[in-house]
Amino acid sequence: MPKSQFVDPKKAFEKGSIHFKDIPVCQYNKTLEQEKKIYTKKDFMRIYRDMAIIREFETMLNDVKTKSCYNGVEYNNPGPAHLSIGQEASAVGEAYCLDIDDLTFGSHRSHGEILAKGLSSIQKLDDKELYDIMKEFLDGTVLSVVEKHMNAGGDIKELAINFLLYGALAEIFARTTGFNRGLGGSMHAFFIPFGIMPNNAIVGAAAPVALGAALYKRSNHKKGIVVANFGDGACGRGPVLESFNFASMDQITKLWNDGKGEGMPILFNVFNNHYGMGGQTRGETMGFDMVARLGAGFNPTQMNAERVNGYDPLAVIDAVTRQKKLLLKGKGPSLLDVVTYRVSGHSPSDSSTYRTPEEIQAWKDADPIPAFKNKLIAGGIATEAEFDAIQEQVTRRMTEIMKLAINDEISPRMDLEKNPDAISGMMFSNLHVPNMDPGREPEMTLPKEECPRVKELKTKVRTAFDANGKPVSKMKVFNIRDGLAEPIIDKFYEDPTLIAYGEDNRDWGGAFGVYKKMTEAIPYHRFFNAPISESAIVGSAVGYAMCGGRAIVELMYADFIGCAGDEIFNQMAKWQSMSAGILKMPIILRVSVGSKYGAQHSQDWTALTAHIPGLKVVFPSTPYDAKGLMQAALNGTDPVIFFESQRIYDKGEEFHEGGVPAEPYEITIGDPDVKRKGKDVTILTIGAVLYRALEAAKILEEKYGVSAEVIDTRSIVPFDYSKVIESVKKTGKCVIVGDAVERNSVMRDMASNITEMAFDYLDGPVTVVGSRNWITPCFELDHMFFPQPEWIIDAIHEKIMPLPGHVAKNNFTTIEKIERAKKGI
Amino acid sequence: MATAVIMPRQGQSVESCIITSWSKKVGDEVKIGDILFSYETDKSSFDEEAQVEGTLLAIFKEEGEDVPCLENVCVIGKPGEDFSQFAPKDESTPAAAPAAAPAMSPKAPENTAAPVAAETAPAGGDKISPRAKNLAAKTDADLSRVVPTGPDGRIIERDVEAALDKGFLKGAPAEIAPAVAAPSAAAAVENDYEDVKLSGVRKVIARSMHDSLSTMAQLTLNASFDATKIMAYRASLKQGAEGMGLANITLNDLVLFAVSRTILEHKDLNAHFLDDKMRLFNHVNLGIAVDTDRGLLVPTLPCAEKLSLNELSLQAKGLITEAQSGKISPDKLSGASFTVTNLGSLGVESFTPVINPPQTGILGVCTITRRVKTTPNGDVSYPAMGLSLTFDHRAVDGAPAAKFLKALCFNLEHFDLLLAK
Repeated sequence: MPKSQFVDPKKAFEKGSIHFKDIPVCQYNKTLEQEKKIYTKKDFMRIYRDMAIIREFETMLNDVKTKSCYNGVEYNNPGPAHLSIGQEASAVGEAYCLDIDDLTFGSHRSHGEILAKGLSSIQKLDDKELYDIMKEFLDGTVLSVVEKHMNAGGDIKELAINFLLYGALAEIFARTTGFNRGLGGSMHAFFIPFGIMPNNAIVGAAAPVALGAALYKRSNHKKGIVVANFGDGACGRGPVLESFNFASMDQITKLWNDGKGEGMPILFNVFNNHYGMGGQTRGETMGFDMVARLGAGFNPTQMNAERVNGYDPLAVIDAVTRQKKLLLKGKGPSLLDVVTYRVSGHSPSDSSTYRTPEEIQAWKDADPIPAFKNKLIAGGIATEAEFDAIQEQVTRRMTEIMKLAINDEISPRMDLEKNPDAISGMMFSNLHVPNMDPGREPEMTLPKEECPRVKELKTKVRTAFDANGKPVSKMKVFNIRDGLAEPIIDKFYEDPTLIAYGEDNRDWGGAFGVYKKMTEAIPYHRFFNAPISESAIVGSAVGYAMCGGRAIVELMYADFIGCAGDEIFNQMAKWQSMSAGILKMPIILRVSVGSKYGAQHSQDWTALTAHIPGLKVVFPSTPYDAKGLMQAALNGTDPVIFFESQRIYDKGEEFHEGGVPAEPYEITIGDPDVKRKGKDVTILTIGAVLYRALEAAKILEEKYGVSAEVIDTRSIVPFDYSKVIESVKKTGKCVIVGDAVERNSVMRDMASNITEMAFDYLDGPVTVVGSRNWITPCFELDHMFFPQPEWIIDAIHEKIMPLPGHVAKNNFTTIEKIERAKKGI
Repeated sequence: MATAVIMPRQGQSVESCIITSWSKKVGDEVKIGDILFSYETDKSSFDEEAQVEGTLLAIFKEEGEDVPCLENVCVIGKPGEDFSQFAPKDESTPAAAPAAAPAMSPKAPENTAAPVAAETAPAGGDKISPRAKNLAAKTDADLSRVVPTGPDGRIIERDVEAALDKGFLKGAPAEIAPAVAAPSAAAAVENDYEDVKLSGVRKVIARSMHDSLSTMAQLTLNASFDATKIMAYRASLKQGAEGMGLANITLNDLVLFAVSRTILEHKDLNAHFLDDKMRLFNHVNLGIAVDTDRGLLVPTLPCAEKLSLNELSLQAKGLITEAQSGKISPDKLSGASFTVTNLGSLGVESFTPVINPPQTGILGVCTITRRVKTTPNGDVSYPAMGLSLTFDHRAVDGAPAAKFLKALCFNLEHFDLLLAK
């Protein structure tokens, strides 16, 4: 929507046709003699060794899964093992080209990729760096095992290979000496110091997350490229296609950094093994014929797409080397279709009902490892005996490492009986890091005092009422939008890594104007309009945070949470704990609860997010609280789902004495606030309903002489119940009100908790007044759906304490409740 | 298998009992029927007999402890047997159990016999909020008299508060404060005094007497009547009693009879005062104050107006004997609509009996003195029996109360006519 680009109807209707370039398909045809000019014997042998290590590692896992025994060592592993036997050449070929600054993201089938990238990094790091990395990692936990129990002959690289294999295997076997203390497991193992970023058990989830890592590199001018590894089956997933588009969007080359033309440094690398579990992509579940074709659909450079023979490590190296060059020149994104095959099953329980033994045998016959060996022997590079020696060493090493990884004393499991809080302590990082990269100056396009929004905020009245008690006009009052914007602007000038994006964020200022008049001051690469791709928006923020950046992403309506379901529930929420606290996740996801736009644009979905462990959830309803909570979220390192309400964006500060301070301040996430003192009944509110609860309190006081205490939850996760319990102990009565549909809501959860915690003080059941378990009807029928002040009074009257003379209009009786539950409404 | 002995529940309204004494100690052999311990409710005392044979393995509750009904008090079983499952949850070791200690599991058991919190049955059924229940427990509010106003007939906090405002406290027949036994000076040989711990019954009397006087507007009217006729009638009964198979009908019985036949025409005095309403009874549930070893008890004679004089006398005697023995069921100690108390036998000429709330009146029966009255035949002396009527001025005014007293005196003076009624 930039005004600088004119949308000309004449041009829009111009005649013409779209031209495509040829997409290369398996065109690598170098001879060994040609390759000898590039690779030394050592290089060739290392490529072979790396493939052999991966093959042995996975053979060991396969043996353990299917026979509970490897090389005479017995062990039973109940955890998953998605093997990639057959795909070694693809993994090693890719990793061979990557440096320490290059990052790989993978899938559930990524043991091979982890090891390949690890082995490549070990080769590229000098011994001192390598040793320091190992020594510092988890305070030397992993290193000490291999140092103590294995003999690397004083060779740091050999030690590092032991370290890599042991750290990965201990992780797969869920040991505390694993790379992530056993909390990630087989499908999530990773090791950031070697550039091995988290692997994902959700198919295709690596794409948006890796996109975020590339965004971090692109927006913070960091070295290296990012590789997103996933399978051909994942190409059917929306987040993958969203990421292709997001990485390709025009603005990156045309508008960012004054249109210098640097594209997104990301390689979408498809390990095309022909199957998504059992579904055959080419010929059955997809229509692309070849994955590489997809590139042509996303941008004029066709994503530099190419199809490569993934059974030949040299062909893969050739392709990745060229792709990497393009990416570093700013010609990204790229798409590689690496043709490969897994002869192992999807998992050890796979009986291969979807393919014939002949097919498997044909691919076994083409096995890249013996093929490569034979090629090298034929080329006179090495002898059979040399390869035998490598294999012998690989098997010995693997057996030793396996013995260590299954030894309960050397490699213990997390003891949750002795340390019951071991996992609890990793759910949130709870750090206070106002600036994620203090060494750099934040890039801005205007000095702070010239930022139009900053200027505007200076003119605002920071209380809802003036000195005479009259309401300040809508245009002049410092409202909730301002409360949200002020700390965000401050943070843009403080933390160089902060970026903000979402749909219509820039010129429009966000659909509800929270970001208005900020565009002029913030460069494009820190603040931009995202495509309508909720998965890519949230998923990329996750990757961005994994790399050490801070992001605020926005989804407009809370109803769109579903569009980014996996990214919110499985990515944002889980990586801090799955990484055993290694990763931080300083992301704020802003969502707004609508009110007038019917069934798909008016939902309070706090319950969905609060249900998922690992997310902080807040829902402020005053400018003071909005600013304080935003500031706390911005200074923290945890993912925060920031609920806002479109009903009350215009509200000025009615509660905090002195109004909203101009200076930064924090409100502790989890601390509720007493908005009105009372003694007879406690009304606990979630979000915008606060104002309706206050109306109810007024009626209760004036008409029935009942003094209501109104407490605004402000936060949902975490939540400190002490203030509420204190109040309920005083009043004995509690009503919880919110705009969410009542069934399985946060209100219900809180009601149950309060009942447990204050049972002996209760004078009636803790009662919930939520919206009906319906679709949201049209705005004109709002009052029949969302809680109204009278509903609160009716609920008190019918469930807790009959009010003399009151006649309830709404049915809160048990019979009605049973009937509604029976009908599911 | 060891057997736990629980604190029995003596009547609907009893929620806990105090152990007054132990007859057995840990390690003693116990036979069926042996008295294990004695205990008292706020109104009566009881002995708990062993239902099983064995050795007393543990005692969980000491003398003087107030034990919730149905909670485990002790355990009988074979020596060495594990009884930890019966131990109260919050105390991991029993009072004394040397023999069985080694067999005890170190962990306190998760569940003991369910400690049912016995509550006074609320008037509106059994629904009560936890908060109201706690308030009632703390203040001793009488839940049987709380009017529920919560949803579905639930008693909520405000209902208990309202009852407390009315002084509806648990237990306690309210009545004349009997002469408090002075601490025995003789007992104190060396000291000048002796501290005597108040019994449960004494505490209840103390509280309810105080509440009665502090919350009601009580005043007493004194009158007397010519007892010539009832004395003559009593004399004739005494002579004919054996032949007719009649009870030993006393002067007090005659007064009770007269009250039962008079008070229904003065309904404000056969009533409960419930703040915003009066509950007028259609029957005369006559409370009879009885002096017992444990203190004052007031058993109730229900529907006294329907009983013949002989029946009334027989039933009253039965109640008095039960009360004095200390074995009366607590259920028989409540529900009176009017009370009669008698200090006449102790020579008292007039007194101010104290009302048992929420009743509106109490009649004190005094001794007979000789008085002189002027008749056409000149001044004659006659036996005059004194009556002291205390009434709650909140419920009844002076004149109606006096009218009742006058009618009662008339009926007693014309007892022969009353019998004919």
